[in-house]
Amino acid sequence: MSRTIGIISGNRRSGYLQGIDKQRPLAAVPFGGRYRLLDFALSSMVNSGLRTVGIITPSNYRPILDELGSGKEWQLDRKSGGLFILPGVNWGLAVWDKVFLLKDIAKNFEYLENDLSEYVLLCGCNQIFNIDFNEAIAFHEQNHADVTLIYKAIKKEEWQTLKGTILKMSPEGRVGGSMTGEEATGAYMELPFFIDMVVINRTLLMEVIQGYVAVEDADLLEAIFENKGMLSIFGFPFRGYFARIESINDFFKSNMDLLNYDVRNELFWGVNRVHTKSRDNPPTHYSDNALIRNSLVASGCNIQGALENCIVSRNVQVAGDTHIKNSIIMRRCNIGKNVILENVILDNYVVIHEGTILKGQGNTPVVINKRAVI
Amino acid sequence: MHQRECIAMLLAGGQGSRLGYLTRRVAKPALSFGGKYRVIDFSLSNCANSNIDTVGVLTQYKPYALHSYIGSGGAWDLNDKFGGGVHILPPFVGEDGGSWYKGTADAIYHNIDFINFYNPIYVLIISGDHIYKMNYELLIRQHKNTGADVTVSAIEVAWEEASRFGIITPDATDRIIRFAEKPAQPDSNLASMGVYVFNWPVLKKALLEDQENPASDNDFGKNVLPMLLEQGKKLFVYKFNEYWVDVGTVQSYYQANMELLLPEPPLNIFGPGFKIFSNEEILPPHYIGPDARISNSLICNGCTVLGEVKNSILAPGVYIDEGVWVEDSIILSNTRIGNKSRIRKAIIGESVEIKANCSLGICTGDEHNRSLITCVEDNLTIFDGALIRAGENI
Repeated sequence: MSRTIGIISGNRRSGYLQGIDKQRPLAAVPFGGRYRLLDFALSSMVNSGLRTVGIITPSNYRPILDELGSGKEWQLDRKSGGLFILPGVNWGLAVWDKVFLLKDIAKNFEYLENDLSEYVLLCGCNQIFNIDFNEAIAFHEQNHADVTLIYKAIKKEEWQTLKGTILKMSPEGRVGGSMTGEEATGAYMELPFFIDMVVINRTLLMEVIQGYVAVEDADLLEAIFENKGMLSIFGFPFRGYFARIESINDFFKSNMDLLNYDVRNELFWGVNRVHTKSRDNPPTHYSDNALIRNSLVASGCNIQGALENCIVSRNVQVAGDTHIKNSIIMRRCNIGKNVILENVILDNYVVIHEGTILKGQGNTPVVINKRAVI
Repeated sequence: MHQRECIAMLLAGGQGSRLGYLTRRVAKPALSFGGKYRVIDFSLSNCANSNIDTVGVLTQYKPYALHSYIGSGGAWDLNDKFGGGVHILPPFVGEDGGSWYKGTADAIYHNIDFINFYNPIYVLIISGDHIYKMNYELLIRQHKNTGADVTVSAIEVAWEEASRFGIITPDATDRIIRFAEKPAQPDSNLASMGVYVFNWPVLKKALLEDQENPASDNDFGKNVLPMLLEQGKKLFVYKFNEYWVDVGTVQSYYQANMELLLPEPPLNIFGPGFKIFSNEEILPPHYIGPDARISNSLICNGCTVLGEVKNSILAPGVYIDEGVWVEDSIILSNTRIGNKSRIRKAIIGESVEIKANCSLGICTGDEHNRSLITCVEDNLTIFDGALIRAGENI
């Protein structure tokens, strides 16, 4: 069995998703026609051999439990180890934007205490990737590191849209703290962008938590950097496809990335699959007049109209003479005849009546919230 | 302690020899159907939807694919530790040797110990070869109400086809007065579906008597039911009037699949409730390319379609390259069709690789060939530019 246990930090909200994460945790935001955001972190963990994974949940955790159940689809319905639901702290005034809030882990201290594994792998919940964590764990072991932070090298201009932490790295791969994009002066062609994945020795993590028990809203990364003099911290590069969903634009863009052959191939058709809850839907039926171009369509749909550059989730009905372009249609939407949709995001169960026209701009899609009737 | 009111015995050893190339590698119950399903999904889902939690699956012919597909039965919610779950029952050896299952009744006879373990009141005998959605609870309820020893489920078939089936002649109270296996001159068009409910003591006694008879083929339809009728046992017919089909031949397999593409398919796999479950691999949604053209087709997860697909069914993970033209065909899982190949009225097996510029099922002037179905066996590679004419099997 793996010597590493996992923690997915799911006690998050974004505030920039225009209502898509209003009724559901960020981790449970639907993605790519049949997935939820947390599927990616969880699948990479189990594909890397982890068989003990805890998910830190916010108080509105129903959609997360709906997705995970007993963890069967991830082979986590086990006797030894398995899936652990770790209730996070309630959101205070400024807490929900921290990635690794120590209070969340402290509240579930027994999860760490009761396990005998060597390492803990912590991962954010709002990122799209397919990674083999074994490489990072092996790197961590070889370097006798206390902490290994996984980063992706990004171009300097990308930082403007990505936000987040840039690591200060020595040529030997040691991490000496963090900096902002502005601080990174001309010498840097590529910036090591921290992608919310940490390998840390389990006993060290327990010490950090105990040490910071009195500090309100402390974050793991801040705590590590405060003690960098005592710790051996390494950075490990990830070179594959990576997207982080913080805003509605991120959400729109990274869904649309799936229409790119290389992205799809890397995420879905590499050595390891992305697992998700199976709902046993029938195949999708296209009728005689359906006209589909460059779209990703899940199962159980009935498509009679035209789709172009769309991501369509399960059990969606699209009637005839309807044209949908550059849009994301989530589960069980029902779209009537003679409808025109462009640059639109429809959340689950939206009903669009006959003859409706909805057009957003490319950079600011129209978002229709769950169960709306238009 | 283990007692169940009713357990199901699912006969899944059928070779399906009339399906030719399609069942060369797998038993008929493991054959793909309707894109994402396998034939046995229907019987197993019927059990799950009828509150039958203990199912013995009797396998024999090329069982590997079937065994690995059924697994622990969890895909059909039949891995219930409080219930019995799925038990795979292949032929086995005992103190006095062993043998293959000779007929349907012989297969059950060899598993008397298994049934005794659950000591049920009723035993439901079903087959893994049929496509239908049936609530067995209604059948069992009628069986209880009539006080029958055996209830045989039957469906009305066209008179001209009646001589292909086991034909039941009932009286006005639905009690069976005659049972004729494939009669030349049928006097009824009620055909047995191979679905029976027995009182367990009656079944056990009949199986033991049938084994004593050296002339018997140990088959329910041919031997056991006529014997029980002769003994004056109470056999009743349960009339089922929904969709039921035995995909016994390439023609009927093809037709049953294609019926799913009708505007109102006779078998409703889309409606809510009474879902057909399957042990599917989790694949991403299918991708339809910028120059693809799809009409009246069923497409499963994991497919990539860059060419033209018309009146066809694509199973999970199928890849249709650019310039490809597929019409009136069934393409089974993980098969790849290369650039500019043309396929008409064909059944292409699983994991087949058809390279570029191939023509399959294309007619070369000979009009009567148009109606013939072309079959390609699983795991084959067909090289660039190959021409396979309508009706050929490879």
